[in-house]
Amino acid sequence: MAVVRVIGRDGSKQDLDVANGGQLMDALRDASTGVQGTCGGMMSCGTCHVYVDPSWADRLPPKSEDESAMLEAIGELVELKPTSRLSCQIAVDDDIEGLCVEIAPPV
Amino acid sequence: MGTIDLKQLLESQTLERCPFPIPVGWYFIDYADTLKAGEMRNVFVFDQEWVLFRTESGKPGMTDPYCPHLGAHLGHGGKVCGEHIRCPFHHWEYDTEGWCKNIPYAKLMPPIAKKQAILRALPMVEKYGMMWAWYHPQCEPPSFELPYIPELEDATGYTGSRRGSWTADTCIQEIAENGPDVAHLKFLHGAPIIPPVQTTYEGPVMKLDIGQGYIQGTSYGPGLNVMRFNQHGITATMISYSVPISKEKTQMNMSFRHVDYAEGTPELAASKKVIDHMIGAAEGEESAGFESVDFIVWNNKKYRPNPLLCDGDGPVLQFRKWFKQFYPGYENSTKI
Repeated sequence: MAVVRVIGRDGSKQDLDVANGGQLMDALRDASTGVQGTCGGMMSCGTCHVYVDPSWADRLPPKSEDESAMLEAIGELVELKPTSRLSCQIAVDDDIEGLCVEIAPPV
Repeated sequence: MGTIDLKQLLESQTLERCPFPIPVGWYFIDYADTLKAGEMRNVFVFDQEWVLFRTESGKPGMTDPYCPHLGAHLGHGGKVCGEHIRCPFHHWEYDTEGWCKNIPYAKLMPPIAKKQAILRALPMVEKYGMMWAWYHPQCEPPSFELPYIPELEDATGYTGSRRGSWTADTCIQEIAENGPDVAHLKFLHGAPIIPPVQTTYEGPVMKLDIGQGYIQGTSYGPGLNVMRFNQHGITATMISYSVPISKEKTQMNMSFRHVDYAEGTPELAASKKVIDHMIGAAEGEESAGFESVDFIVWNNKKYRPNPLLCDGDGPVLQFRKWFKQFYPGYENSTKI
């Protein structure tokens, strides 16, 4: 279990309790944050884009080549930031306690 | 009396008819004139169904039937759109190499689709008036090319419209093994002698000389074999292009060609007679062509990976060693 702080597209803030074992995308989608996660974690849709708080940028496992490719594609439609991530690639475990993410605009 | 070698007596219980995967190679799919631009149809070869189509510009394509998106069968309701095949379900489009070229409603092309083909497509060439596809179990590109065959590609020098097609209930290796197995020519076909045989192997090419030039065959992988019969002062040619339908069923296709001799000449008569003899029993010939005698053996035999060969047998084991290159991943298999 971890508590993750989520900044919505409207600027609202909420603390989400997320269960260990899944991906952050699932929890964000189920909490109606605007994250869709259409492809289920295949890194082919770009609908779970979040901006990770810069203080967490180095504390998450690095991006894979496939994640970088999807983020690059998203960049054609929405703003990318150095801390842009696909939330389907962030595994939920105790280590992400206190993580703060902002939901990026829809593609 | 020593103890009985039970392995010798009981091995047949564990034998399989065809323990082989589909071998790597170029294979005949159909005659080029059977598929017009814009047409598509489903074909079953290499142990699965495929969608065969020809683009509007005339390029043939052959893909896995199931759309990588949500699995619709492209060959049931799909269509050729320009240079692409289009899935009926959501109109995703693919080119002849299997690259996704259009998703009509997506803002972003999934990254993998920009990196590689996402639909399995077989490399194809058109040659000899036929469509050929390259099969490799791990989708590797062709490792050799189809050869120039003057009998099929020299429009002025050769003639002959005779073709045949037969289905054998066995795999392609078992059929081809009859080439080096010269002893069977005497006993199954009734040839007057066991002819001498010489084989040479170079990469995917095997050359076979039976009877000191009487029959000269060249195999280009498992799917193409050109056999020239030098008899009665002429040369007649059997071009054999078999395709694996499944692991235990092979479609054998052949074209028979000869020099374009003038009507009424003894050379023309001799050419036709030699061709008759290749296929079945020809008048005045002692031995029988493959059609009349080989199928009963092919259709019922089992493959012995450890055959009991004797002196006088042909180079069966060398042939098998050569053929093994077409089964990548099976290098250490004891079943083949």
